[in-house]
Amino acid sequence: MEKDRKEGIRGMANPGRYGIERVAYWLMRITGLGLLFYFIGHIYETSNLLDGKAAWNSMLELTQTTEGHIFLTLVIGMCVFHTGNGIRLMIGQAGFGIGKPGRADYPYTPKSLNMKGKLCIYVSIGLAALAMMYGLGVMYDV
Amino acid sequence: MMSNIMRESHIMKIHYLTALVAVGFVIIHIMVRITQGFANSLEFESVIANYKSIPYAIVLEAMLILISVHGFNGLRIILLELKQGNAYENAVTYGCLVAMIALIAYGSRTIIMASMGMVEA
Repeated sequence: MEKDRKEGIRGMANPGRYGIERVAYWLMRITGLGLLFYFIGHIYETSNLLDGKAAWNSMLELTQTTEGHIFLTLVIGMCVFHTGNGIRLMIGQAGFGIGKPGRADYPYTPKSLNMKGKLCIYVSIGLAALAMMYGLGVMYDV
Repeated sequence: MMSNIMRESHIMKIHYLTALVAVGFVIIHIMVRITQGFANSLEFESVIANYKSIPYAIVLEAMLILISVHGFNGLRIILLELKQGNAYENAVTYGCLVAMIALIAYGSRTIIMASMGMVEA
């Protein structure tokens, strides 16, 4: 506990110590920021349409490379994880699946951090992986 | 501060609602690409035809607004978690609001001009 306090915000943010929930906390924020930057880039990319066919094709060429496909695959993964985990958070904030409130007894295990929540996080990661594989199949026309 | 105008709980409801509706529209957007064949659907003529279809242009505009609202509110939430204070919170809130409006305006320009055929030959 003493060590926790000394570490400050780094201790709070450490994804390795507090289980899959803290990993999900970080993934939610990282994927959210990643998707926002992708969205801004996508709006700029599609605006090239107004400059004619040559401009559109040259912009499109950037995404038709191996690096472009890898980037789009990551976007698919981020999108699916963010959606799955987001739905878990919405359900949790609505009060479902977080257990009944009770007296805080030793060892003070939080009832809201239960197996249902953990399972939802693992399912979100699994679905993201499946969607990434499907996306790769579509992009490479497999 | 935004919370003076609107309760934070209302902002969170908007955050969740925009997410759920946007997911539906994104599914439509992706299905259109996949059903047309991914590479073919990205051909210049095919994309222009998509924009000229009014229902699809409405879907794109709705998606632009919903994702912008959700995305910039998410960014605001992340930044407010990092640091607090009146001046900082105001700067973050109004900064995100301005960026959101700018992105919606820029994206809407593309949708409106492409759907009206105002594209360079």
